[in-house]
Amino acid sequence: MPDFSSSVKLKYVKLGYQYLVNHFLSLLLIPIMAIIAVELLRMGPEDILNVWNSLHFDIVQVLCSSFLVIFISTVYFMSKPRTVYLVDYSCYKPPVTCRVPFATFMEHSRLILKDSPKSVEFQMRILERSGLGEETCLPPAIHYIPPTPTMDEARSEAQMVIFTAMDDLFKKTGLLPKDIDILIVNCSLFSPTPSLSAMVINKYKLRSNIKSFNLSGMGCSAGLISVDLARDLLQVHPNSNAVIVSTEIITPNYYKGNERAMLLPNCLFRMGSAAILMSNRRSDRWRAKYKLCHLVRTHRGADDKSFYCVYEQEDREGKIGINLSKDLMAIAGEALKANITTIGPLVLPASEQLLFLLSLIGRKIFNLKWKPYIPDFKLAFEHFCIHAGGRAVIDELQKNLQLSGEHVEASRMTLHRFGNTSSSSLWYELCYIESKGRMRRGDRVWQIAFGSGFKCNSAVWKCNRTIKTPKDGPWSDCIDRYPVFIPEVVKL
Amino acid sequence: MGRSQEKGQGPIYNMRLSTVGATRATETGAIHEPTGLDLAMKLHYLKAAYIYSPELASDLSVTHVKEAMFKLFDQIAWTTGRLWRRDSGRPYIKCNDCGARFVEGECNFTVEEWLSKPDRSVDEFLVYHQPVGPELPFSPLIYVQMTRFKCRGLALGLSWANIMGDSFSLFYAFNLWVKVLSGEKIYAPETSIIDRRFLNPNPTVKDPESIKQVDPVGDLWITPNNKKMASYCFNLTVAADQMSPHFPANGDDQIPVFEVLAGIIWKSIAKVREDPEPLTVTIIRKDPNDLKPIRSIRNSQMISSVHVDFPVAEAAVEELVRCMERATDERCGIDEIGESCDGSLDFIVYGAKLTFMDLSEVDLYEAKVMRKSPESVYCNVEGVGEEGLVVVYAAAKSEERVVTMTLPEEEMERVKSEFKKCGLMAP
Repeated sequence: MPDFSSSVKLKYVKLGYQYLVNHFLSLLLIPIMAIIAVELLRMGPEDILNVWNSLHFDIVQVLCSSFLVIFISTVYFMSKPRTVYLVDYSCYKPPVTCRVPFATFMEHSRLILKDSPKSVEFQMRILERSGLGEETCLPPAIHYIPPTPTMDEARSEAQMVIFTAMDDLFKKTGLLPKDIDILIVNCSLFSPTPSLSAMVINKYKLRSNIKSFNLSGMGCSAGLISVDLARDLLQVHPNSNAVIVSTEIITPNYYKGNERAMLLPNCLFRMGSAAILMSNRRSDRWRAKYKLCHLVRTHRGADDKSFYCVYEQEDREGKIGINLSKDLMAIAGEALKANITTIGPLVLPASEQLLFLLSLIGRKIFNLKWKPYIPDFKLAFEHFCIHAGGRAVIDELQKNLQLSGEHVEASRMTLHRFGNTSSSSLWYELCYIESKGRMRRGDRVWQIAFGSGFKCNSAVWKCNRTIKTPKDGPWSDCIDRYPVFIPEVVKL
Repeated sequence: MGRSQEKGQGPIYNMRLSTVGATRATETGAIHEPTGLDLAMKLHYLKAAYIYSPELASDLSVTHVKEAMFKLFDQIAWTTGRLWRRDSGRPYIKCNDCGARFVEGECNFTVEEWLSKPDRSVDEFLVYHQPVGPELPFSPLIYVQMTRFKCRGLALGLSWANIMGDSFSLFYAFNLWVKVLSGEKIYAPETSIIDRRFLNPNPTVKDPESIKQVDPVGDLWITPNNKKMASYCFNLTVAADQMSPHFPANGDDQIPVFEVLAGIIWKSIAKVREDPEPLTVTIIRKDPNDLKPIRSIRNSQMISSVHVDFPVAEAAVEELVRCMERATDERCGIDEIGESCDGSLDFIVYGAKLTFMDLSEVDLYEAKVMRKSPESVYCNVEGVGEEGLVVVYAAAKSEERVVTMTLPEEEMERVKSEFKKCGLMAP
């Protein structure tokens, strides 16, 4: 009992402290206004008129002052960065014929890797603990025994996922293809010539003066890199819009060997894509879903261990695959810390920043044995979208940021329903939150993505208008079944 | 092993394997419990091949076919599960959505060239088959082969483990699938374990003749035969004038076509197989008490036994037909045997005694794509015992029947010459 009451008292102390520090200026205003009001009441009407007349307003002073005010406000508005809005986005829902239940995946594995039973055993253990569900999808070419990853099949998968998502985006936003000013396509592991962005331009007959970019090789965090690029371009080009397509093409990257560390991506990566419309037009202000507040990119490539932790290479038999090092989680944790150090001051309320500063001073300057203070990000954000890279990533981040189960629900459920769809997974998670009807006007969302390199990128969005539960979309037919309980180990 | 897997041989090439299943996830822990009769039939596999002409099938891509299969399996998702054994050794089907194996292939013949081959058992190449085992949890129960002919015609072959259901269930499933292809909505009601029991007015038969125990096969479910078996398939006309020499019609009575054919064939085989003559045969046909149209996947076929005390080779066909009409339904006995051994002993039914299967009541040509019937349908059973099997079913023309025989290779030529002698086959 004493523990409970003391923790309750602590909670109220914390609340009081936060309210005091965060609203410090407004709280300061109250006594000042009180003093002025008391003075005014004391002085009486004739005294007030005398003070007014003694100010000697003449025309030159008035004009100069007003010019100064107008000048300062013009400079302020001109140098303010353009607000970038996310008008709408759409996520690809794979056809049900691409579904891969656990049992099917394991049976195919046994047939394809019949000479390496240990590797099959390893894949089974990964799948049991992966947090994936029975409805994730692989592209048609990977359903064959053995898979047939030709370039044609890869292109056909790219066309299927990208064009479907874009058609859906056009329908939702009423955007005409010829009105697209900027096009950014990011797909890490499939980079044909002509590029995927050229493929999109060809399909939709986009304008010849379009600014198109194709980002490849940048890993699962490339989605937010594209958003950053779009934001920078929208600062330079007034009155424009940008379409971003984030995807990962699975077909050419199925690892055909039997090296265990390289079999992991086969078990986790699944088909998916997202198309996003961003704009800096004032006319889109009313219909846009989100406003981009901050975007912070942190690159740890300078450190060798981080650089080599996700490495594409040939195995002993010459088969290409992606080698994931055992230190991945530790490196992800460090990258996150570096990212938080930058984003913290931008988003955290003053109360948390003060506590962090005091804790930092205490540890570094006075060498007190305090634990490093982890700021409470739950005060800065209502929703979290953590890249669904795998169960371990979500567990690690939940622990590091001290988040509750509900905060990471979107990430866990996206991993269960769609698997690791790489750069587009953040959008599936955002769509989950909207489908659950939790997104209200003014809510702040934090998207965190990790990628090879090793990179940690974060984006902060503010919800522009309360979003109605979407009637279509990838979650529309199954949202009522979620959240599901995902056991630690699924017995196959 | 079916013919179409022999590598490098056969007319089918460019084979690619994949898997089709259901669109919805089955709930975890769902299982399907086989009955005693199901377990008794476990070493047998039912096969069917449907051939469609290019006008109907040239627009049907692999994607169409697979999508339709997915919708079919939504209704019968348990058939996409896998066999596991309980601690007692009794097999059951774990409904884990593993899927049916789907095989794509190409053939260098046109449909016309293919159908002009006199021995219709070439259709065995159109049905991909692998037995269940050696690992039960990784063996599909259904194989579907889609073969594209040179003229863009299509053949669809199904290999179906008998433990799931009988031939009538196979045709039911195929018809549902064809309905989906035509854009219709389908619904297959679930059959509870009570529905899967059959009505048997006869008292329990002890020691049924139609089932034989074989040496243990372990987890590789192949019928252990000492003799090599071969198949032969041919068409014959069953117009009244063809049948009456063998079976004088009694006024207005309808000629029982299947029984007459079975009688003639029984006689011919008895002439070839002198020592010992086949005095007991098994008749497998649709259960006449099954008034409902087949709407479920189960083993409901009637398995009955006929025994004669006189030499068959010299007997009149009429005599044999009369004996066949008095066949005893042995399903209850077989079910009890299957149930009591809990799946630990292995049996065969097809080929335990010379077996005649009557599929002539099934309208095979109802499986219409774009409202047109298939050009040809082939039926057979894999895993037949040494006594042999004769399947009689409808042909494209109503006055014809198709006969598929599976007999020991050494007997086949002599049986064929007997048929030629009695006029069943053209010389």
